Amino acid sequence: MLNETYDVLIIGSGHSGGMAAKILTEYGIGCIMLNAGPVANVTHDAERKPAYELPYRGFRPPGRLEHVFQSNEFNANVWVDEQEVPYTFEQNQPYNWVRVRLFGGRSLFWSRQSFRLSDYEFKAKSHDGFGEDWPISHADLAPYYSRAEGIFRVSGAMDGPPQLPDGNFTIDDAPWTIAMQRFVDAAKPRGIPVCKQRSAQGRDGLASSVNLLLPDAEKTGKLTSIANAVVREITVDKNTGLPNGCNFVDRLSHREMSVKARVVVLAAGTLESTRLLLNSRLANSSGLVGRYLMDQVYGPGVLASVPEARRGNINAVMGSSAIVPRFRNIDTKTDKFLRGYALNVTAATGAVGARNFAAYGTELQRKLDEYYGSGFHMTIMGEVLGRYENHVRIDKDRTDAWGIPVLHVDTKYTDNEFNMSKDATDTCCELAEAAGFEVLSKNDKPNPPGYSIHEVGTCRMGDDPKKSVLNKWNQSHDHRNLFVVDGACFTSAGWQNPTMTILSLSMRASEYLAGEMLRRNI
Amino acid sequence: MLRRDFVRAVLAVGAAPKLLLGQQAANPAPPPPAPVPWLLGLTSKTPIPHVEAADQVAVGELRFFTAQQMATLTRLSDVLFPPMGQKPGAVQAQTPMFLDFLIGSSPDVRRKVYSEGLDWLDAEAKKQFNLSFEKLSDAQADALLKPMLRTWMNDHPPTEQHADFLNIAHDDIRTATINSKAWFVVPEVGAEPRTTEELYWSPIEPDISDRTNVPPHVQAAPKSGHPMPSYPR
Repeated sequence: MLNETYDVLIIGSGHSGGMAAKILTEYGIGCIMLNAGPVANVTHDAERKPAYELPYRGFRPPGRLEHVFQSNEFNANVWVDEQEVPYTFEQNQPYNWVRVRLFGGRSLFWSRQSFRLSDYEFKAKSHDGFGEDWPISHADLAPYYSRAEGIFRVSGAMDGPPQLPDGNFTIDDAPWTIAMQRFVDAAKPRGIPVCKQRSAQGRDGLASSVNLLLPDAEKTGKLTSIANAVVREITVDKNTGLPNGCNFVDRLSHREMSVKARVVVLAAGTLESTRLLLNSRLANSSGLVGRYLMDQVYGPGVLASVPEARRGNINAVMGSSAIVPRFRNIDTKTDKFLRGYALNVTAATGAVGARNFAAYGTELQRKLDEYYGSGFHMTIMGEVLGRYENHVRIDKDRTDAWGIPVLHVDTKYTDNEFNMSKDATDTCCELAEAAGFEVLSKNDKPNPPGYSIHEVGTCRMGDDPKKSVLNKWNQSHDHRNLFVVDGACFTSAGWQNPTMTILSLSMRASEYLAGEMLRRNI
Repeated sequence: MLRRDFVRAVLAVGAAPKLLLGQQAANPAPPPPAPVPWLLGLTSKTPIPHVEAADQVAVGELRFFTAQQMATLTRLSDVLFPPMGQKPGAVQAQTPMFLDFLIGSSPDVRRKVYSEGLDWLDAEAKKQFNLSFEKLSDAQADALLKPMLRTWMNDHPPTEQHADFLNIAHDDIRTATINSKAWFVVPEVGAEPRTTEELYWSPIEPDISDRTNVPPHVQAAPKSGHPMPSYPR
């Protein structure tokens, strides 16, 4: 309805926005959701093709998506185009900002790993003195984790040590395969725990906002959604100084429009939410909007071969995966780095890549035949420390395709992250050799910051308005009707895939908001 | 009119509607007389013409590499990925010409890796064997190439000078060959790699607003003395 003032404006439709919409509408609160991109319909936007039918034989189209290492010619059209929505950085400090603006956002494409943070993350400063504690603990978030795990049907085993809290799982009680058991046996005497993977099964093969959250919101009749709405800025009531909606531009026609709402919930993804706050000059009395950008170190790892699985002898030997939760700086302390890393471990069943052999031609093919089915992958997920100097700000000299000022990203890894990467690679080699595997290739160099697609921070939460942007309810310290429910609120990054934490925080914040609105406190 | 003719005509008039209805049921109504709506008849049943990828049936010109660099790349491709069993090699899959297109369209850094790498390889062949690389025997090429091969993981090719080129080029040559139609049409044996086949995403509602800035086409005919009224959008 024209000129309607909605109860809540939700900007973004991914996991965090979808959860906010589900919870708020189920409380009877009317929401309008804006998403910057179109609705993807796989039945007419995508079809299965062989690479030879494509102009670049499957290679990433040259010059496009230089900072999206995950892209190729098949999926190039689903990522945000770096020319259309640019961002800037110093040449010697590249940043990989990997974005999806389709309705549902990055919830359409994610690895499904589903972990809780533990109090080694929530109370990290209390443990090692660095940074700040979160204003909440695992106990505060545990009930919401359980509900989110139920909605996303997370599979796993109740085998977690304190640094990997167990949850509401669909129980995975399959025995380890032979290769994984040997890895477990090699890890145990070294004090390294190995747990079953924890993965969102979703429904019909998808674990996204578009199939697990938004349908519930739509069922209430309380959700209105607009696609292709690129938000320019949050608007403010001149009398109260409170946010009261936003101005947006239609992605296709460039028509300028606006909507009004009593409450604004930002769920556009960590850096887009922060960009909006900076462009709107809101919520920044602390001066910390954009500060403490974090993510996780990805890239380092080892590929080994399990001898008895070669030539495709995979039955009972290969085919399972595991998570090694952080084990450094838990009960003991290393002087090489703070915090720690986890390892993703997979006993794969397919071909081993050609890069793992210093050979070519027929000799290489003989190796590929011999090693088929024997690949054992170990890759790092390492915590990046939250540092004030790692930040984003508005680049006043560049705008995107709709004339909206872009972000400048100023962040880099330090010795802490590089030492962690080296330690992880050395440890993987040691474990592989102890398990009787042959190390084929290794890498101890991190990919550029941002690669993990786990960017968090820049609007961190805390009890002190001078040291944080949001309170423990994801609510702006400065504006009581402004909430940020995506990864921007993180106070520390942890090693864990952040999705379950984002979902749970959004659920918790939305229930708090609903309660406050029903009590007319907001 | 004779009486029997009259009776026949009356019967015919009486039967006509039924006959017409019968015809309608058997054959859908014919299209309306022209002009018809432009898109009439285009449905999900409309046959889709079969087409080939252009580089399967046509040739391109050398655009980026010099003739000497292409000769070196062709020999390198043949050495690194020769035909094996029934499967074609890189040369049969037109990989060198494809790489001329791919690398020629790529950012400067990648173009430089290839240009300098191919020049280095040729110079090294002349230095060690007094022959250009394209003329080396398999054993001579092996002596040059083998010491430069490395194992490496995704996104982290070796950074040593020349080893970077050789290992990146090897990877590109393999991928381009395996993803060619020439490779695809020959069935795999054992663990032979397969052509990548994935979900291809078309551009989804691409933003075409920039077209408003494109100048209009030049008019085909000069303006007449009796112009049509014009209300530009």
